[in-house]
Amino acid sequence: MSEPTVFEAPRMNKVQKEMLVNTPFVEFLGLEAVDSDKGIAYQLSFREEHIGNTLLRTFHGGILASFGEITAALYLVQSLDLDKEPSCNSMTFDYLRPAFAGSIRAEPRLIRAGRRFIVVSVDIYLEKKLVSIGRFIYTR
Amino acid sequence: MIEEDTLAADRNMTIAETFFGTSHPLFNAFGVQVEEIGKGRAVMSLACRPVLCNRVEGVHRGVVVTLLDTNCGLAIFSRLGDMRPIATIDLRVDFIKEAPSGEGIFSEVECYAVQGDIAYVRGRAYACSDHSLLASVSGSFAVGTLGPAFDSAMKERS
Repeated sequence: MSEPTVFEAPRMNKVQKEMLVNTPFVEFLGLEAVDSDKGIAYQLSFREEHIGNTLLRTFHGGILASFGEITAALYLVQSLDLDKEPSCNSMTFDYLRPAFAGSIRAEPRLIRAGRRFIVVSVDIYLEKKLVSIGRFIYTR
Repeated sequence: MIEEDTLAADRNMTIAETFFGTSHPLFNAFGVQVEEIGKGRAVMSLACRPVLCNRVEGVHRGVVVTLLDTNCGLAIFSRLGDMRPIATIDLRVDFIKEAPSGEGIFSEVECYAVQGDIAYVRGRAYACSDHSLLASVSGSFAVGTLGPAFDSAMKERS
């Protein structure tokens, strides 16, 4: 498997750049956009501040959910070419396996873009294992 | 009866202290505080630190979810009376309103049932300033999952 390449700034639109660079919590999380054969993917490398269970050394459930939601919003802005950040109404998150300290990867997928509501699903992988799935509902 | 209550209160204090005793890196970074704990219910809070903010200087949605998830865990420990390992099965969060700029938030979660190996929780997050509702949560957790109990080190000492 080749190393994922970090997106260069010109490939992102203005809203995306603002969401990635000018949002303190997004910076704190430290997520990166990477090229993927399936299109856009995002990656998050473990830091001590992401820890949930200190004995097992897993990502905190809230960090996984944050990563999923931020990813879903970034993906929407790019794929639907939105001119403002969409607002998230709700999220449903299933934790399928423990996400041990490492590099996790989010693969967002558009379920339906309606006139008022947009539904996105995000699969989160640790290596090749699916560790959690999230479904997010946005209003335009 | 009074003695039982005192025992339960002691246990809850131990749970709350253990939660923070090991100086958890995420709870430290987020500045998570335990406000109340007991009888399957817990209240937690955090101040609006710059790193936790969205673009308009309010507490980021992701931070709200992280506080709620953490608070769910604490409510379950309080209901169980110990700190057996638990893991989130699923979480549903509705975002009612964005957190006001510069304001801290607090959350309140109750563990309303434990059946078999599953604990059920529901709760809400509010703005500290005007107590307006920011988000609601409901979810379920697996009890007695992989790994040692969080209070195992503490039990060995006593």
